Amino acid sequence: MTPLARREARQGYLFISPWIIGFLAFTLLPMIATFAFTFLNVTLAQEQPLRFVGLDNYARLAGDPQVWQSLGVTFRFAALWLPFVVVVPFLLALALNSKYTKGKSLFRTLLFMPYVVPFVAGILAWQQMLGDTGWINDFLRFLGWQRPPSWLFDITWIYPALVVMGIWGIGAGVIINLAGLRGIPTELYDAAKIDGATALQQLRHVTIPMMSPVIFFTIILGVVEVLQYFLVPLVLKNGTGEPGGSTLFYNLYLYKTFFNFQQMSYGSTLAWLLFAIALVVTVVLFRLSRRWVYYAGER
Amino acid sequence: MKTGPFRAGSIVAALALIISACGPSGTPTAVPSGSTAASPAGTTSAAPSQADVSFAPASLRWYCCLGTGEDPAQIPTEEKVAAGFGQKHSGSSLKIEIVTYDSARDTLSTQIASGNGPDLVGPVGVGGLAAFDGQWLDLGPHIQKTGYDTSQYDPAAVEFYKSDDGQIGLPFAVYPSMLWYKADMFEEVGLELPPHQYGAKYKMPDGTEVDWSYDTIKQLAKLLTVDKNGKDATDPAFDPENIVQYGFEPQRDDLRGLGAYWGAGNLAGPDGKTVTIPDAWKDAWKFWYDGMWKDHTIMTAAVAESEEFSGGGYPFFSGRVAMSLNFLWTTYGVADAGKDWDLAAIPSHNGTITSPLNADTFAIHKDTKNPDAAFAALSYILDDSADELLQLYGGMPARPDRQDAFFETLGKSEGFPEKVDWQVAKDSLQYADNPNFEAAMPKYNETLTILEKYESKFATTPGLDMDKEIEALRAEIQQAWDAG
Repeated sequence: MTPLARREARQGYLFISPWIIGFLAFTLLPMIATFAFTFLNVTLAQEQPLRFVGLDNYARLAGDPQVWQSLGVTFRFAALWLPFVVVVPFLLALALNSKYTKGKSLFRTLLFMPYVVPFVAGILAWQQMLGDTGWINDFLRFLGWQRPPSWLFDITWIYPALVVMGIWGIGAGVIINLAGLRGIPTELYDAAKIDGATALQQLRHVTIPMMSPVIFFTIILGVVEVLQYFLVPLVLKNGTGEPGGSTLFYNLYLYKTFFNFQQMSYGSTLAWLLFAIALVVTVVLFRLSRRWVYYAGER
Repeated sequence: MKTGPFRAGSIVAALALIISACGPSGTPTAVPSGSTAASPAGTTSAAPSQADVSFAPASLRWYCCLGTGEDPAQIPTEEKVAAGFGQKHSGSSLKIEIVTYDSARDTLSTQIASGNGPDLVGPVGVGGLAAFDGQWLDLGPHIQKTGYDTSQYDPAAVEFYKSDDGQIGLPFAVYPSMLWYKADMFEEVGLELPPHQYGAKYKMPDGTEVDWSYDTIKQLAKLLTVDKNGKDATDPAFDPENIVQYGFEPQRDDLRGLGAYWGAGNLAGPDGKTVTIPDAWKDAWKFWYDGMWKDHTIMTAAVAESEEFSGGGYPFFSGRVAMSLNFLWTTYGVADAGKDWDLAAIPSHNGTITSPLNADTFAIHKDTKNPDAAFAALSYILDDSADELLQLYGGMPARPDRQDAFFETLGKSEGFPEKVDWQVAKDSLQYADNPNFEAAMPKYNETLTILEKYESKFATTPGLDMDKEIEALRAEIQQAWDAG
């Protein structure tokens, strides 16, 4: 390496060193530490002497019914939530991108505004609105639905309630989809029109393939978000998992294991299981993406 | 498993018996320094209980609220008490941090785990101490060093706060349980008022005298539960979807506590490892469940948490509940229930009366960087500020010589009826639960989470087979205890 190249390399490393230090200190080392904890018996009070316990924590995880219940809660919610978080922003972006839509700036602003409302304040507002005597049920009674759902206290209706709360904050997803739509070359639509394609055919054969990277990105973000779903049930139900355990999401159970049950080693084990699930799901999605995601710049 | 600060739940009962047996002294006590005008006039305080000991000035953190103390109406007084420490000890300060009860345990765990634990924690009950077993400072050396006078308390009361970690607290407040009722609602339907004396009978509308038991409560609750058309729950035309007044509300914060009103017990069997649900608790939970979903005399969770009926704290505060079981600390918000409430005896179950007891203290976190200053703050709270804080929290003084003055002042609280029969509270101590329902058990916080889950399920899901559910609860807790 020439002295100049060496100097440039040094400067390069110097500039990225803050990130490297941060990554080591706040990501890699904690990950190694938590992995080590999974083989120990660390608790907050540490009543027993610290010792190596082998795979005891993993065996406990396998036999812990709460782990499987909370994973079930998470996946049940994901099955309902993911289609909404992928499809709804896309459809709204399509509407905003249409030449027939008037007042686009206004709608863009209105759709994005909930995203900037403080999260906790938003949840508390929804808590009032979705109460048995809240505005939503009052409105439903006005429409003639005499016994509207108990949104927050019925194990059947709690998930739709959470989806409704989530949809309210999809402004960012709409903007991302809108940016993707704006990036589609108009020549493709011109060519499609010349070939006699209808609007639906253009959507199917031009828009969706060209938007597939954005849709894929939304799916990945949605999966990560649902696996980390925590703040809404914590604020809405004080982390109790009410009603009847239906909001005790996996991430919430993980949090409670650390900070409520004070079991650091077992909590670390749960965290690594979450990491493994997220990794497997992401790898599968990336593998599947080769079949349907089209990257225009790919060689 | 450490046995915690209540290694014999019987000590709780002993504490209650001793406090109730030691009648109030006729000697007036002076108002302690730092107290507000709420302190009883003409009383004198005992002299401060610690010798003058200097300590390095320190800024201390007082963490609240693992028990009571979060109500906005309480905070100004707590802040004033905290500021008073700084005025008394120049160079030092005591800052109170209010964390709502629902998240107080998680937040404290987070602070401790990150090495940022507070100095002083309180008021904290038996359950709060157990949830952080092993985290409290042994006050013994500080009591000795400062010459703190523990003889002002009954020895059993002091012993109550001894654990494997030493003397982790000192007696502060006890909260017996009573039946709180709305006299106007009884009078409106021509019912006799509930008995105030333990052991007294109750006269039903047809003139028969019956035991004051939960069977009687069930019948009265039906007569006192009214729909928007004025029909009570015994009427075939009663509309359970439009109830405007409920007949009965148990203490539903904790399934164990709810059960304890029917009979004392503990989930841990004699060996400390086997989960045994007391029969009385099963009866209580079934009573509660049937009350919600069959008789419709008790609120479901959805109703209890609605704006209309929650009372901003407890349903009885809404003024729409005829009878409610609860602890003395509910005086913090009971003024909202109206001016016609009073106290009555706890009903019996299978001939046994049980009045569950809460007891509060203040404790010091073992990792405090300023143990001497923290102990000075603890002494300040237990002595200089005790009267003020006890009034605020509705806590009966653990010191018997202060009880009469306490009730005299409590009775003058704004919004309270002119006359409340506080004798019921004193009498209730005789029936304190032994063992205490908050006593130690394995995997304390995990067990509470499981109990919470089932409590929520019972309160939100009709059509359950309660025997099956209770067995499932027992099995799940046992699995958690066996997990190591």
